[in-house]
Amino acid sequence: MKISNRISVIVAGLVLALPVFAQQSGKDVYTKVCSTCHATGLAGAPRLGNGGDWAPRAARGVASLYQSALTGTPKGMPAKGGHMTLPDAEVKAAVDYMLGSVKDAVKAAKAEAEPKKEEAKKEEPKKAEARKEEPKKVEAKPAPAPVAAAPAAAPAPVASVAPTEVSAGDINSFNRLLKPASKRNLPPPEDGIHDPANDGTHALQPPLTAFGALPKSNAGNRVNWVEAIGQKKINPRYDRNDPKAEPIVMDLNIVREVKGSMPDVVYPHKQHTEWLDCSNCHPAIFVPQKGANAISMASILLGEKCGVCHGKVAFPVSECRNCHSKKKDIAKAPAPAAAAK
Amino acid sequence: MKILSKLRASIAVAAVLILSAVMFVDINDAQAEYGDVVINNYSDGAGMRPVVFPHWFHRVRFRCKVCHADLGFKFQAGGNEINMVKIIDGQFCGACHNGDIAWSVENCNLCHSGKPGTPTQVHESTVQKLAQPSGAKK
Repeated sequence: MKISNRISVIVAGLVLALPVFAQQSGKDVYTKVCSTCHATGLAGAPRLGNGGDWAPRAARGVASLYQSALTGTPKGMPAKGGHMTLPDAEVKAAVDYMLGSVKDAVKAAKAEAEPKKEEAKKEEPKKAEARKEEPKKVEAKPAPAPVAAAPAAAPAPVASVAPTEVSAGDINSFNRLLKPASKRNLPPPEDGIHDPANDGTHALQPPLTAFGALPKSNAGNRVNWVEAIGQKKINPRYDRNDPKAEPIVMDLNIVREVKGSMPDVVYPHKQHTEWLDCSNCHPAIFVPQKGANAISMASILLGEKCGVCHGKVAFPVSECRNCHSKKKDIAKAPAPAAAAK
Repeated sequence: MKILSKLRASIAVAAVLILSAVMFVDINDAQAEYGDVVINNYSDGAGMRPVVFPHWFHRVRFRCKVCHADLGFKFQAGGNEINMVKIIDGQFCGACHNGDIAWSVENCNLCHSGKPGTPTQVHESTVQKLAQPSGAKK
């Protein structure tokens, strides 16, 4: 009897004590679980203390936030943050903790949402007036949100082919060569091709961290790749296994006389063989014989001949003078005039 | 009446969301790096995100010849019919992405990181930016 009594006392004590000990605070849960994403905004998670991130979500109500946290969302939030063993109460506590960090902004969002409801209900005008004052304070606070949204929203008119859809602000931006500095070399989650909801996207190297020290150019990646090798800023491997393999460089310039007024084209084998193997171009793209290759700007623009690389990865055709670099021989020009005499 | 108007509102919201989603996928909106190749031969069909191949990242480390001559990558986006079996067998990406030269295939989401529905393309290529004649190569 005594022993069983003791046991029952201990068990009762444990049962009573467990909820007290096991119940972690919202902050604890946040630190252990949620902070992985919600501290940095990984995969688009609303960040702790960031009113702009939380306001639109909080506007839908705390219940909806609890729901998202417990069951997960298609945007990437795993149910219970991936820790299915967490009791619902602790998950909710963590939500409360994160909401607490942005109290002001959330209140502001509510104040914004509520007048609309109240207008519908046709409440007393006094209350409506009192509420209307609040949103004014509010408007200043969620300001950070539009900044984040801007990269996604702004480029929209760029896509439009019909000139009527181009807004005045974007009058020049239809031209890819005039891409503003703010839209160059964006990190993967913001570049519009990568899916920001994918965790891997956030692990990828942002281009600017690699381009910082490299010589600049005015087009493409805004990196002068030929110079980058020339100045030994980079030394890409010539063989995937052997870091010491040296390229077989051939120093031979081919001059192509050009119809019209443009300077003649000088094709340098040297810069090309730094990167490429003979077999990359010969004989499939260029027949290795003088005069055997009909090249036109039209075919280059359509991705043939030089356009197989130039306009895709190598510098684009906007850099005319990189190729059209040899002044026409003026001595030849007066000759026909002399003959006419 | 209220229910009807709510329904209408929700349909309108849904339409706006879908539209914005479509706009978002629109390739011309993207500001990705020059030369980024999206490969979506099989990904969408297999329920994976399309692959984004960053040319700039690789050319910092390897010369063009390594992939385009030694490994046999054709100069054409989506023209190599790469699939996971070939990669695991050491062809194409698998020649380096084997845990030896570069990280290996279990890091699915590092390559399969494109927005679902993005078509195969060389991003920012001249051809993509031209008013495109039908039948032109990408």
